[in-house]
Formats: sequence, structure tokens, C-alpha cells
Amino acid sequence: MADAGSVIEAVRRSEDSRRRSLSAFALAFVAFGVAFAAIAAARGEVFFLRLATEALIFGGLALSADILLGYAGMLSLGQALFFGLGAYVSALVLKNVLPSFWLAMLVTLLVTTLIGLIAAVIATRARGVYFALITFGLAQVVAKVVFNTPSLGASDGIIGVPVIAIDLGVGQVTAASPAAFFLFCLAFIMALYCLCAYLARTPGGRVLAAIRSNEDRVPFLGYPVTRARMLAFVLAADVAALSGALYPVLRGFVSPELLYFEVSGNAIITVIIGGMGTLIGPLYGSALIVVLKSVIGSYTAHHLIVIGSLFVLAVIFFPQGLIGAVRPSLERRFALRAAPLRR
Amino acid sequence: MADMHGLIDTLQFVFAPQIVNGLSIGVAVILMALGLTIIFGLLDVINMAHGEFYALGAYLAVSLLAAGVNFWVCLVAVPVLMLPVGYVVERALIQRVFDRKDRHVLTLLLTFGLGVVLEDAFRVVYGPNTVRVDTPIGGAAQILGMYFPNYRLFVMAVGAAIVAAVWIVVFRTSMGAIVRAAAYDRQMASSLGVPVARVYSATFAFGIGLAGLAGVLLAPIYSVFPTMGKDFILLAFTVVIVGGLGSIKGAVIAGIVLMQIQALASLYISPVWTDPLLFGVMVLVLMWRPRGLFGALGNG
Repeated sequence: MADAGSVIEAVRRSEDSRRRSLSAFALAFVAFGVAFAAIAAARGEVFFLRLATEALIFGGLALSADILLGYAGMLSLGQALFFGLGAYVSALVLKNVLPSFWLAMLVTLLVTTLIGLIAAVIATRARGVYFALITFGLAQVVAKVVFNTPSLGASDGIIGVPVIAIDLGVGQVTAASPAAFFLFCLAFIMALYCLCAYLARTPGGRVLAAIRSNEDRVPFLGYPVTRARMLAFVLAADVAALSGALYPVLRGFVSPELLYFEVSGNAIITVIIGGMGTLIGPLYGSALIVVLKSVIGSYTAHHLIVIGSLFVLAVIFFPQGLIGAVRPSLERRFALRAAPLRR
Repeated sequence: MADMHGLIDTLQFVFAPQIVNGLSIGVAVILMALGLTIIFGLLDVINMAHGEFYALGAYLAVSLLAAGVNFWVCLVAVPVLMLPVGYVVERALIQRVFDRKDRHVLTLLLTFGLGVVLEDAFRVVYGPNTVRVDTPIGGAAQILGMYFPNYRLFVMAVGAAIVAAVWIVVFRTSMGAIVRAAAYDRQMASSLGVPVARVYSATFAFGIGLAGLAGVLLAPIYSVFPTMGKDFILLAFTVVIVGGLGSIKGAVIAGIVLMQIQALASLYISPVWTDPLLFGVMVLVLMWRPRGLFGALGNG
């Protein structure tokens, strides 16, 4: 019989190597981003920098979907609700109140936490497919209401959001500079990623992982399932909204399309293709999908057929996604380096 | 006395048309919901592509009509054509992930991906614009002093007949008994000689056929466009959830009740707010009964 100490040791070692390989992916992502920004800025690119910034923003949305799907095992088909909420709140603050980035973020955070809590009360009571369908319905209903509300610009959305300068204390980043704003978004989204990766390692995050593997057993161990699910839901809502809040800063407008099911669905596709339950996978997935879309887009307007098929194949053959396909070999290398084989 | 006349007039000219309207939409939603609920009841699969299969049925009808086929032939031919489509989808996609641990989520994702592909395929083949389908029965009938389009009355009659037929097949035939047995206890049914895998595929195909039938029936009323299924699927899901996933009786009752609520409420509130109203009803029902109003297919 293996003694408890060696089991705990083995679990800790496998978690360590998993964490280290995921951190390596995160560092590589930042390196790719910085290198891309340097090359693009040197060549005076605007279009590709803007596109990459958008990929980052939608990557943040996918990250929020992964918190729910990959950690808590909750498939949300309505993350666009919070993404759009963040975009609308930020646009309204920037346009009507004060063109201050941090104020917009603060208001977004407060509003989303409040609305996220209300939505969590409605949605997290439901389990499994019921949760998926309720989040789907919630987002569709809100999208329809926004689409028909004249004070929110109805079908036109909100246009004319001012171009702002973001005060960083030591200096300013203006949203008008493509490279600088791209780097700022990279830092912003990676900060969200680090926060989520940190929270996943806290006791609360471990309760989520336990719920995902066996929901019925967790309450018997004395952990509050409902509260953990609600907290995960609100956290995901905040991450989605803060990502969405960057959107009007980049584009200067928001439209009800941001709330549509296409956006939620796209986030799920991104999570699966990138690698569910890894947090960094969705960011890679978002970059990959934007690249695919623009490559396919140069041949045909119907990129959804290709991406949809790719998604279906990924669900069947690579449920661990891009990261999952690369990670095992990397993890083996880390494990070897950490502890040379002892006999 | 004048008040009495006023009341009757209100009933006749304000409420009655809305009730009939609600019934005709209700029939359409029930047909969609039936397919969804039967597929879930047996396979535990939420078919996110159901709306796209509904659109596929409508587009097949458009193609057949353009080829000179009679509408009444289409009404039979399209569901029959959809059967092999459903069978192949179940075999090629759903069976592949069926034995994995989180198959609820995986099958939902698969059918969602399929829906994305289908919707774009409609755009490629038929273009993004709306296609109109001529009403095969013109004119209107006068009932109780009001005029109703004949075709809507026909759709209601056909819808009621289909619901009755489905009920008879599921609850009163040996074929239905086999399906219910497979839904209730897969292992036991299998060891009694029920070809469970084939029953699964056939049931999925049957649900898809129903969606196709709904597509043909409603094409003359709502016209045909690539996202036509998406506008409908939320209503169908709401009905299925309120009725109880997997329950045929629940789908029918919830379909009628919810569509009446929608139709009558739109007399008082803006149509924009009827969706949140129905959604609110759904949330309330779920809080009261987390599994909807009625039990699942296997326990029927």
C-alpha cells in the first residue's frame, strides 16, 4: 500500500509540472506578443495591430468562459451578456461622464459584480445543460431588449466614444497609438490571466476543481458548493466585462452584436480549440482563430464553415485543444528537470 | 347592456385573434419542442442544431418547389429526406463522444458546431437573403364573425394531428415501448435484445424529421432565411425547459400556455418585453420545480 505521504508528494509534483508548463505557455504568449508588436510597429502596421488587439480582447472573453467550463465544469452559452455589458458601461462612462479609463473600469467592475450576482442567483441554481440553456436564454433576452432600447442607441449601439489617453502614473498610453495600445491590452489581459491562475490555486479554486470532478461528494466534505459556483460565475462575469470594456476604447463604438449568441459561441469555440481548463489556452485559441479568419477570409467570406468544422473535429479528436496536444511532451521535460530519475 | 356588448366585442375582436395567433405560433413551437424533447429524453442530448435542421427542412422545400414539386409532396418528402441526415449525424458525430464522461457538454458542443457550419452552408448555397414561399392554400375562413387565413387553420390542424400521432407512436406502439425502454434503462433494454445503438440513431433521425416537417409547414408563414432557426430555438428551448426536458406532455402543455401568455401579453406590453416575460416565467418554474413541470420520457 502506498503511504499517504508519497501520494501527496506525487500529486504535488504533477501539479507543479503542470503549473510550470502552463506558466511557460503564458511567458511564451507574452514574448510572441511583444515580438509581434515590435515587428509591426517597425513596419508601421496599423491594421494587423488593431486586429491583434481585438484578438486579445476576445481572448479575455474566452478566458472567462474557461473559468466556468474548464474549472467549474459549467458551460455558459451567454458570456456575451457580460462582455457586452462591460462594453456598454465603459462606452457610456467614457462618452457621457468622464473620458477616464480607470473610472470606466471601476464602474464596469461595480456594475458587473452587481448584475453578475443577480444573474448568478438565477443561473447557478441550475445544473448541467439547464445552466447552459439558462445562460443562453438570459443573454438572448438582454440582447433583444438592448437592441430595442432607444436610449442605448437601439440597433445602432453607441457611437462616438472619444479616443482616450490611459494614465499609468509614470506616463500615458494613448489608444490612438496602435502598438502602445496593443501592448497595454496585452498587459491588461495577462494581468487578468495571472489573477485567474492565482485564484485557481487558492483553496476556493480547488473547491471548484473538486466540484467539476464530483459535485455530489463535495458538500459531504463540508465545502459550500453553491457559494463556490456563484463566486466562479461572478468572477467570470467580471473578467468578461473588463475585457469587453476595452472594446469601445479600441473601436470607438459598441453595438448590440456584442451581446449576440455568435459572440458567446465564438468564446466557447475558442476555449475548446485553445485548450479547456488551462486559462492560457483560450488566449492562444483566440489568436489562432483570428489568424484563421483572416487567412480564410482572403479566399471566402464563409470562414464559419471551416472554423465550425475545425471545432467539431476538435471536440471529437482533441478535447484537450491546442495546449493539451503540446503540453504532455513539455511537461515530461519539466518533470525530468525538476527531479532526475531516481532508482 | 352596452357594457355587455363592449365586453363581447373586446373578446371577439381583441382577444380572440390574439388567441388564434398564439395557437398557430404555439403549434410551430410545439413541433420544434417535440423533436428537442424526444432527443433529450432518449439520448440526453441537447440538440443545439435543431433550429438549423428546421431551416434545412424549409430550404429543402424551397429547392423541391423550385424543381417543380408540388407543395403537398414536399410536406411528405422533406421529413423523409431528413431522416437519413439525422441518422448519419447521430452515427458520425454523437456516437463518437457518447461514452465519454461529460457527454452532456460534449454533445451540446458538437451540435452547436454543426449548427454553425449548417447556417453558413445555407448562406453559401441559397444566399443570405430571405426566400418567400407561396401559400399553398389561399383565402380565409370566417369563424364566429372573424376571418382567419385558411393556411394557418390548416397548420394548426396538421400540428394537432402530428402531436397526436407522435403520442400514439411513443406511448401506444411496441416501437415506442422499445424507445421508452432504451431511455429508461439502457443496459437492461440492451440485454433484452433491443438494438440500443440503432434505436438511438433512429430516434435522433425522427426528431430531425419533425424539425424538417416544421420547416416546410411554416415556410409559407414566416419565409425562409439562414438564421430562421435561431429566432425560434430560444422559444422552443423555453417551452421544453418549462415542460420538463424529455416530456412530450410537458412540451405540448407548456407550448400552448407560454404562447398564449406571449400573445395576450403583447396586447398590454411592447412585444420587445414578451421575451423577458417568458424567460421570467421559465426561471420561476425552474425555481419551483428544477426539472420542469413534467417528468422525463423514460418515466412516462
